[in-house]
Amino acid sequence: MRKVWAVVRREFVERVRRRWFWIMALVGPLFFGAVFVLPTVLARGGVRNIAVVDATAGTLGGRITDSLNASHAFEAVRVPAGRGVIDSLTGQVEHQRISGFLILTDAAVDSGRAEYRGSNVSGFGAMRALERVVGEAVSAVRLERAGVDPKVVAEARRPIQLTTHPIGGRSVAGETAAQSFSLAYFMGIILYTAILLYGINVMSSVLEEKTTRIVEVLVSSLRPFELMVGKVLGVGAVSILQFLIWGVGARLLLARRASPVAASDAADEIFQVPHVSGATLAIFMAYFLGGFFLYSAMFAAVGAMSSTEQEARQAQQPVAWLLVLSFISMFALLNDPNSTLAVTLSLVPLSSPIAMPVRWAAGNIPGYEIALSLVILVGSIIGVTWTAARIYRVGILMTGKRPNLRELVRWVRA
Amino acid sequence: MTSPTPLVVLDRVSKRFAGHTAVDELSLSIPTGVVYGLLGPNGAGKTTTIRMIMDILQPDAGAVRLFGQPSGGRAHTERIGYLPEERGLYRKMRVLDVLVFLAEMKGMERRSARDRAAQWLERLGLAQWAQRRIDELSKGMQQKVQFISTVLHDPDLVVLDEPFSGLDPVNTQAMKDVVLDLRRRGKTILFSTHIMEQAEKLCDQLCIIARGRKLVDGALGDIKRTHGGHHLVVGFDGHTGGAAHVFADRALVSKVDNYGQYAELELAADADAQRILAALVESGARLSRFELQEASLHKIFIDLVGPDAAHAEGGRSDA
Repeated sequence: MRKVWAVVRREFVERVRRRWFWIMALVGPLFFGAVFVLPTVLARGGVRNIAVVDATAGTLGGRITDSLNASHAFEAVRVPAGRGVIDSLTGQVEHQRISGFLILTDAAVDSGRAEYRGSNVSGFGAMRALERVVGEAVSAVRLERAGVDPKVVAEARRPIQLTTHPIGGRSVAGETAAQSFSLAYFMGIILYTAILLYGINVMSSVLEEKTTRIVEVLVSSLRPFELMVGKVLGVGAVSILQFLIWGVGARLLLARRASPVAASDAADEIFQVPHVSGATLAIFMAYFLGGFFLYSAMFAAVGAMSSTEQEARQAQQPVAWLLVLSFISMFALLNDPNSTLAVTLSLVPLSSPIAMPVRWAAGNIPGYEIALSLVILVGSIIGVTWTAARIYRVGILMTGKRPNLRELVRWVRA
Repeated sequence: MTSPTPLVVLDRVSKRFAGHTAVDELSLSIPTGVVYGLLGPNGAGKTTTIRMIMDILQPDAGAVRLFGQPSGGRAHTERIGYLPEERGLYRKMRVLDVLVFLAEMKGMERRSARDRAAQWLERLGLAQWAQRRIDELSKGMQQKVQFISTVLHDPDLVVLDEPFSGLDPVNTQAMKDVVLDLRRRGKTILFSTHIMEQAEKLCDQLCIIARGRKLVDGALGDIKRTHGGHHLVVGFDGHTGGAAHVFADRALVSKVDNYGQYAELELAADADAQRILAALVESGARLSRFELQEASLHKIFIDLVGPDAAHAEGGRSDA
């Protein structure tokens, strides 16, 4: 046992000492933050300078310009319509002095038509915001035309905010649907990345001992199984430390992002800062560790059966694909966390480490499903570790050709 | 030389790999306190044999007994030092940390491992490298670090697989010193080699194997006597006395090439050169030269193994 402990400590200390670990600690939150924030930023596309070509008889152009400037997404200038205005503005768009221009005529109020011409008309968030502003102004003008008191119009236009609470026997994971979605999305990405990253860490550690032949000295001192377990636990401990660092980093980052800068943005309605409860953290860590043990045992076996870095990179692909598949299926889960597919994926051990936390975050799950999924996962870890250890035991001493499937089966049976 | 319970016993041990038998019913016995050579051409099964002793491989048949117990190397790991044929250390680790870690694998306490490692580094002139990373060291220095890791925990049995391969002359000398020092302190050393000159200088006992089978084993002197034939060169200082009479004794001399003042003899089987010397002195001959010329181990090896098999066969590095 003391030797296993020494293996654990070596894996831990050597990894934490390396520059790579601290680069990951630093870059990790930025990376995850980027994955999280980027869709918002991309959808927003920054502040757009636009012109409002006003050919209306009334106040509509002025109102819209003011509302656009009041939103944080646009800086608008009202331009009275006239000869050559369109051409000159088109020229400005082409020279990238402005993003585009909105053409308003009285038809907007009568038939609900307006036109936007710009260099980029596919910015979903921006177009939606533009549409909303124009729509609100038009409806206000229509109401006033119909003789409604402007005060009443203003009162009627005050927006509501819908807060959603999933109902279930447990405390709510995210407070709103949007937050649940972000949390699930975020957890899926972290789980996938971390399991893959640390699994491959285990693999290269096995490979290092194999290629340097230290493994002979080690295996004559402790059982291959003990060595493998020590390695997996050591790398696992590093990942937990990394998570602690990331956790603190991500908190700080998200706290900054919670400032109301982007409050009016469309994409922001999809990605909201989630509130992570203790139960969610526990589920996350339980499935991360479960997934890590499951996959790193397989990665250890892959490392053991390969002789070179290149070989290992090839041989790890089937294992990595299992993980990629679970990751991709996450998007199906997010759509409907209680579909048969979702339930199945969160019970099948290879996909449950990602699927179950994602489902948990996205919606309500009966406790027995979690219990069942965990039992299956733990059982699979034992089975997979046993099998991987047998491949490992034979593989670490082999040199030369990588074994084919039939040989692998023989190793396991031996 | 012999002790009641040999330290290492192999009892008809066999190991087969896909398609070929690496070790075939090999039996040998290594007493405590000797330097034991496991000799054979490349691919003879030396490394496989050592790996079975070390518990790295399990024999398909037969048994390994160490320290009088029916168990392989892993059960006695704190008493065994092992240097594999292919060397390597954790390249990114610091020298001292590697040594401490490997000593811990051998069951040593961290603190005493640290102290002992520092002493050894001092002794082999590597003290100022203790905190450097392995990959900053020259190859020769890395080899020294690896010797240290083999003997750091003061093992009773030291197993060295091709210890001299790839060593520069300075480290070869250092390695020999370490081996001789260990023997002086009553340790047992098992080493494999295909270089007979080294075996001849270092071994007390040896075993020659080829194609996984034992050809001969025993004390170096015995093997030379039984397999080398014994050549004796005698020179006279004028007076030959009754030498011709002695030479004619077929119990002592099987063949003679007599030049008068100089003769080359081949000893009879079981004959003792000391008796010939005594007989010659008694016969009144005055000797200027009396020299036993043993066949070299190399020659015995070639004779036993055959010139073909003496070279690498198959090229399996793990056999």
